[in-house]
Amino acid sequence: MRTSRFRRGLALFWWLIVAFLYLPLAVIVFYSFNAANSAAYFAGFSLRWYQRLAHNDQLLGALSNSLILGIASSLIALIVGTLIGYGLYRHRARRLGWLIVLIYLPIVMPDIVFGISEMTFFVTLERHFGVLGPSLLTMIIAHVTFQLPFVALIVYSRFVGLDPTLFEAAKDLYASPWQRARHFLLPTLKPSLIAAFFLSFTLSVDDFVISFFTAGPENATLPIYIWGAIRRGVSPEINAIATLMIATVMLAAILSLLFNRRDRPGRDS
Amino acid sequence: MNESSSAIVSPESTTAIGGQARDASAITLTNLHKRFGHDAIALEGVDLDIHAGEFFTLLGPSGCGKTTLLRILAGLEAPDQGSLTIGGHPVTDTPPHLRSVNTVFQSYALFPHLSVRDNLAFGLRMKGMAAAARRQRVDDIAEFIKLGALLERRIDQLSGGQRQRVALARALVCEPDVLLLDEPLSALDAGLRSQLQVELQRTQKRLGMTFVFVTHDQEEAMVMSDRIAVLDGGVIQQVGPPADVYERPVNAFVARFMGHVNLFEIYAADGNQAHTALGWLTLPRSLAPEERKGVLLIRQEVIELDADATENANALTATVRERLYRGSRIEYRLDVGGVTLMATASNLGQRLHSVGDQVKVSIFADDIVRLDA
Repeated sequence: MRTSRFRRGLALFWWLIVAFLYLPLAVIVFYSFNAANSAAYFAGFSLRWYQRLAHNDQLLGALSNSLILGIASSLIALIVGTLIGYGLYRHRARRLGWLIVLIYLPIVMPDIVFGISEMTFFVTLERHFGVLGPSLLTMIIAHVTFQLPFVALIVYSRFVGLDPTLFEAAKDLYASPWQRARHFLLPTLKPSLIAAFFLSFTLSVDDFVISFFTAGPENATLPIYIWGAIRRGVSPEINAIATLMIATVMLAAILSLLFNRRDRPGRDS
Repeated sequence: MNESSSAIVSPESTTAIGGQARDASAITLTNLHKRFGHDAIALEGVDLDIHAGEFFTLLGPSGCGKTTLLRILAGLEAPDQGSLTIGGHPVTDTPPHLRSVNTVFQSYALFPHLSVRDNLAFGLRMKGMAAAARRQRVDDIAEFIKLGALLERRIDQLSGGQRQRVALARALVCEPDVLLLDEPLSALDAGLRSQLQVELQRTQKRLGMTFVFVTHDQEEAMVMSDRIAVLDGGVIQQVGPPADVYERPVNAFVARFMGHVNLFEIYAADGNQAHTALGWLTLPRSLAPEERKGVLLIRQEVIELDADATENANALTATVRERLYRGSRIEYRLDVGGVTLMATASNLGQRLHSVGDQVKVSIFADDIVRLDA
């Protein structure tokens, strides 16, 4: 009797948390389909705000900036992070675990501090050497810095979960170093790499603060555009963009989870 | 697989695996040294000749250096000193992927991202064999090792015994000069294990390939091997056929490791008589002066109970302290004037001795072996 009441209490607690997490999102999604230009009442289902989005050039520019930034930074982070993860694994006997903490530290800094530091750094470089003025490039560099540790950790933990004799088996079966990379390392890592890419992409699309400080005047991303737009009040159009972003990020996050999961079944063999 | 299903190789087979084996390779190890860090000695001056086409076993307790020796043969570890030839070619500095040597790993090390077929084909593919020829070879080995039904499975769908077979087939399919096996049966349960011991030994005989097998299980070593090398502390203690190593161990370590327990220190000797904790014992021959120390080995199974003392036999009186019933045989823990003596008797259905019984013990002088301590 007591147990079942306790369990019902737990269930209620769980649903409360879910409600706090998802209701705000649901409200935005709901009003994005509102026929009226108001968050006070619902005037019927309509896609007019989504149609308006399609003709908003500023917004489309921001969207394309976000996509370029997200994809480019994720790809760079994937390559560099994979090398770091593999290096940490290869030399794990030398106890280099603290290196990952070193890479990790900047991203546990408050975003605003990190963003301002990056901005100051790039501005200084530009002033003294004439390179790396605020642009899409500086944004990509800034994004890669916070994506790296995640990629490195995913790759590293995949390797740690493998039977170390697999590496020796590949050598024993006549694979040259290059063949080992192509026929053993990459195929084994593939699900982890895809997961790491989607996670990096999500992190990039999510980011506002660091983008804000490192962006040039032409490089507004979606979050920066939204931030600018809501200073004039939250319009249903913003709701529609937000809804699209929610869908995109959720999809990327789910893909990331799914591919990371795919590693597990073969793990013990 | 039961014994009868280990069939004869199909005569249509076109490869060396199916047909008659090519020339096997001999291995020569000269003065190999290896240490890890400053004080951990893995191998100390190992000299060893492994004959072509022989089933050779490296036997010893964990940490004796047997696995290090195997890894040096595979090229996965480099010796600090010494040299190594396989089939007459020096390979001391050859990296593993350029050695015609394949290994069956203790953990099997099957690639989880590949099917059984692709695991088997891996080595051939790395060597650059064309797809069609590869397929044929994989099919042949799968038939030889009885893996046909498993070829398209994923590795995580296999049982332990099946994985062991796949690991063996993956190494054999490359037709190496030497096959190395690192305790490949240790993860299997007892029944499957003894069945695979027989199978492995037959496979080796049929292929005529040189097998180097590592184990810490002396019974496994004796069942399978043509010759055994017993290692301890990075040093080879004895090399010889199983019967030699078992019946005439060179020292107390080898004797104990082969499962012997009745070892008695020689206190004094006079002619063919030696004084031990059991009293004066008659030996097969007089001991040379330098042999008048060390220990005497009396194998459990040479001790006769209730036999009338004959000439050339040592007669003792003992009390049964413990009886261990092992089915096919019975082990007695005997007390001879305060000294423990273990004896094994075949279970022939005769009257068993009970705890507390007085028994007559007879040990032929010829069955007593003197060893170094």
